[in-house]
Amino acid sequence: MYRLSKLRFGFPIGLFLLLLLDGSISQSFSVQLFRYPSAMVSHLVVLWLVCGAIFEADQGEAYPMPLAVWAAIAGAVFDLYYTGIFGVYVFVFPVVIYVTRRLVLYIRPNFLSGLLIYFIDITIVEALGYLASRAIHLTTMSGSSFLVNTLGPTLAFNLAMFVILYFPIRWVYNWLK
Amino acid sequence: MQKFSFNRRLVIIIVCLIVSFALMTVSVTIRNKKSTPPLIQQFGNDIVGLVDRVVALPTNGLSSSVSSISELLNTYQENQQLKQQVSELAQTKVRDQTLAKENKQLKKELKLNASLTDYTAVSAAVITRTPSSWQNQVVINKGAAAGVQKNMPVMSGSGLIGRIAEVNKTNSKVELITDNNDSANRFAVQITTKSGTTVNGVLSGYKSTTGQITMDNITTKAKLSKGDKVVTSGLGGVTPKGLYVGTVAKASGSDYGLATKLYITPATDLSSLNVVTVAVTKQ
Repeated sequence: MYRLSKLRFGFPIGLFLLLLLDGSISQSFSVQLFRYPSAMVSHLVVLWLVCGAIFEADQGEAYPMPLAVWAAIAGAVFDLYYTGIFGVYVFVFPVVIYVTRRLVLYIRPNFLSGLLIYFIDITIVEALGYLASRAIHLTTMSGSSFLVNTLGPTLAFNLAMFVILYFPIRWVYNWLK
Repeated sequence: MQKFSFNRRLVIIIVCLIVSFALMTVSVTIRNKKSTPPLIQQFGNDIVGLVDRVVALPTNGLSSSVSSISELLNTYQENQQLKQQVSELAQTKVRDQTLAKENKQLKKELKLNASLTDYTAVSAAVITRTPSSWQNQVVINKGAAAGVQKNMPVMSGSGLIGRIAEVNKTNSKVELITDNNDSANRFAVQITTKSGTTVNGVLSGYKSTTGQITMDNITTKAKLSKGDKVVTSGLGGVTPKGLYVGTVAKASGSDYGLATKLYITPATDLSSLNVVTVAVTKQ
């Protein structure tokens, strides 16, 4: 009963908390994360969205959440507040939700397969973000250095975050339900 | 039926792509042309910024306490070095005050109200940083209400770190000079060489592998040597004259061999910024 559960308010609160925490982590640990030329980009908000899709699939039909709508709203805030360029993440985050929902139809989600799904999602977020930035001349980075300097470290950081935060987030979802 | 639904999905994807590109183009145009973003965006950014200050408080507090513990370990050594520097600084400061006073009097006699070196400093705290690898951007807690305007230079510590890219009412975005996009780090600068000649130029980019700012297309015959100081020249725009950028690290032939290319070591550590200063000029 999604309409009656605490998740209805808890999900967006967690979403925006992690969205803002992404920026705070980037600011506080900028010396460690942005060690030029490589960069680790924190995507905790994607972790929250993907976990939402995974646990939604776990619960079956009882908890269909409006994930794509919240993803689009989070993407819009991300675009306006962080990057100042509207129209990139407002589409990328719903794509992530769509892909995750398709994947959990074929793969039964648990901790390990969740890790695989999250790997694919982060790759999508970073690759689409890179293509958009190339299209509007925000960066002149070549494709190969994108793979080495951005995608690699970002995947490493975010998968580590997934391993650390998967069970706490699952606990939060079960508590909110 | 299968074919129809596939086509519909394709149409949705294409429409989304077109809308996305249109939105991106519009926002880039607004960012480049207008001095402030649309009112709705400003309003939204102000609200998010307000919430973010509350969220950022514990994390920033945590990281500052960690760094203060690590700094405590080499305090003794630093203290001795700094004591020496302070005694030298006192002399310089007194001289600086006298010169500033004299300068003011002379300007008054010449009836010169505002020259290129005049600016007021507005200090601001960094709230957050864009979690992105191609936009080196931070959000600071001062905006149009404090007199900040688009394109104003921003300093931290002793040197220039970037310029204001977007102004909201209570917060604004700073594009750092490490950002390599088309419009990020074009500051008009000048270098005074050891022989006394002044070389003018424009910063052209950032070399991330060595952490140096580059300055291309210098056609002067003057000999530039390592350690020459680079300051803003105040030409063409809102940047005041005399903001410290860094020192010359290396001079070499440019990519096409006709002009000189300079590598400049920035004056401040650009990776950890907590408090910044916006140079507000009267216009």
